[in-house]
Amino acid sequence: MAEPSRGLQISRRGWLLAGFAAPVFRAWGADSLTVSYDGDNLRVRSPDLHFLAGKPLERLQEGSTVVYLASTILYRDRWITPWKRAEARFVVSYDVLGEDKFAVNTPGPPPRHALNLSKAATEAWCLDNIWISVADIAPDRQFWLQLELRTGSQRDLSSVLGDTGISVDLIDLLSRPGAEPPLARRAGPLRLADLVRMPGRGPNE
Amino acid sequence: MKYAWLGCLFAGSLLFAGPQDADSNVNAQYTVETVILSGKGWTTNLRSETTDKISTSLYHQLTAIIGQKLNPAALDGLAANLKRELSAREVTHRVVRGELPEQVRVEFEVRPARASVGVNVNQFLYDSKQGWSGSGEADVTVRQQVFALGLVSDGDWLPERYSGITARYEDKDLGTGRLSLKLVAESFHEQWNQATVAAVAAHPEAGIALYRTRTDFQPTATLVLAKPLTLTVGARVETLETETPAAETASANAAIATLRYHREIEGLENQQDLDADCSLRAATRILNSDYVYSLRSAGVRYRFKSGKHTVTDNAWVGMISGRAPLADRFVLGNTYYLRGWNKYELDPLGGNRAVYNSVEYHYGPLQTFYDLGAIWDEGQSAVARHSVGIGIRESIFSLAVAIPLRSGRVEPIFMMGILP
Repeated sequence: MAEPSRGLQISRRGWLLAGFAAPVFRAWGADSLTVSYDGDNLRVRSPDLHFLAGKPLERLQEGSTVVYLASTILYRDRWITPWKRAEARFVVSYDVLGEDKFAVNTPGPPPRHALNLSKAATEAWCLDNIWISVADIAPDRQFWLQLELRTGSQRDLSSVLGDTGISVDLIDLLSRPGAEPPLARRAGPLRLADLVRMPGRGPNE
Repeated sequence: MKYAWLGCLFAGSLLFAGPQDADSNVNAQYTVETVILSGKGWTTNLRSETTDKISTSLYHQLTAIIGQKLNPAALDGLAANLKRELSAREVTHRVVRGELPEQVRVEFEVRPARASVGVNVNQFLYDSKQGWSGSGEADVTVRQQVFALGLVSDGDWLPERYSGITARYEDKDLGTGRLSLKLVAESFHEQWNQATVAAVAAHPEAGIALYRTRTDFQPTATLVLAKPLTLTVGARVETLETETPAAETASANAAIATLRYHREIEGLENQQDLDADCSLRAATRILNSDYVYSLRSAGVRYRFKSGKHTVTDNAWVGMISGRAPLADRFVLGNTYYLRGWNKYELDPLGGNRAVYNSVEYHYGPLQTFYDLGAIWDEGQSAVARHSVGIGIRESIFSLAVAIPLRSGRVEPIFMMGILP
């Protein structure tokens, strides 16, 4: 049986939730998300989504590893009721002896990696490796899509374990800047039937 | 419940292992040329210089990465160790180009703390015979001074279960770099095991009294005689509210002295640690003490580590002359000494003579041990007891089963928790 479409019937609670959530995401107004369909999966492209910037970029240039977590979420309605979700993880590093070159890998499946990429090429590579399966969605079913990108935590227990037990520095904990809000891009309403069909580039290509 | 704890321990050890992205970093192909440590107004190149700002152990941890392939994830752990040891506000690290091709320098920058507020869990353990024990404290550190308030409930260490509050003030450097001061105040409420209550009633000639509360104040000063030899001297003023109907008080005021030696020897492929100490506690009428006794103890702990193999020997001996309060009498049969035995079966009143030795072997987190000890009172003959055990230990998390070696029934004791 086909999923009942709620169309644009959005409750007051829904609008309220959307209002509170709006400041959490950066720059979803500057919407330039292009969505394509390869027959099985949706893929995204966003030339103005620059996530290799700010503090994460500083950490990379100091030789650290930065993990980016990408979430692709499909909504039944106008970005209120989540329907399907896909996650991807990208491990990025910066070659301190190279000429402004990055390396990136994703555990997949299947695992992939790339070396000697420029900043823009690294961002594009990550977006190329983000997809969400839509095999079970009817071609004329309307849906909305949101892409979120955030940095993963690098903290581990070694920072609190000592010879004399477990220690937590409260000033350090409270003064630490909070996690950066995720970058988000949106597209919709969409229908598979309307999307430009790309050659197959599924996860098992 | 036990399975839940097992799960926690394994999860903790996995987390402690750190991020798995170390070998994904493109810089892991480069060799570490040197490690630079810097702070406000000082810089040390650890390849060519030594420093007394950090311990020998941490110095060796830092220099061990020189000449090796870079492990970026390990740098987070080293920065955390530096931050903890130097009580720093923050320690950052970065990897920069070295002087030679394909080599990098690792730079740690230490930002000194103005003040810190911390919460510490010092001990949290479960023993299948004695139940739960735990202690923790909140502290404020301003430069080298520490103020701490803590809570404790311990049914493991002494003949009694004591629960209460502790307060501590510590000045780690009284100006000379060789002298430190520590003031500790404690107030505990006691609970007694039936075996101890019965033993006190059965042996009135021993002059041992139960008490319902115990209050201590202990000022001590520690002087570095010649690194790594230190001398701690001080006093302990203790008031015991006895369990008689009149709730009388008795005092156990003593002078304290402890000589301690600690040395780490770092080889190319192995590491050795040696800890030795001897203590004297003397309570006399001159100090207005109702209990008059002297307590002498000495211990040696030696650890040899090579790769994943670690062998530890821990030997200890103690003797009390005179009449000491129960809290000062020796105990074997807990999670530290003669594991596997029940302290209330061995000697519910504790003893005034004790000797102990433990040999442990670790392969990575796997642990096996053999404990040997005897506890007795003056005039009695000593009976040697043995136990063996196996377990898992990762960092401060420990899980072990210990079996007392005796004829007849086998009754293992299960222990787990945070054991610094």
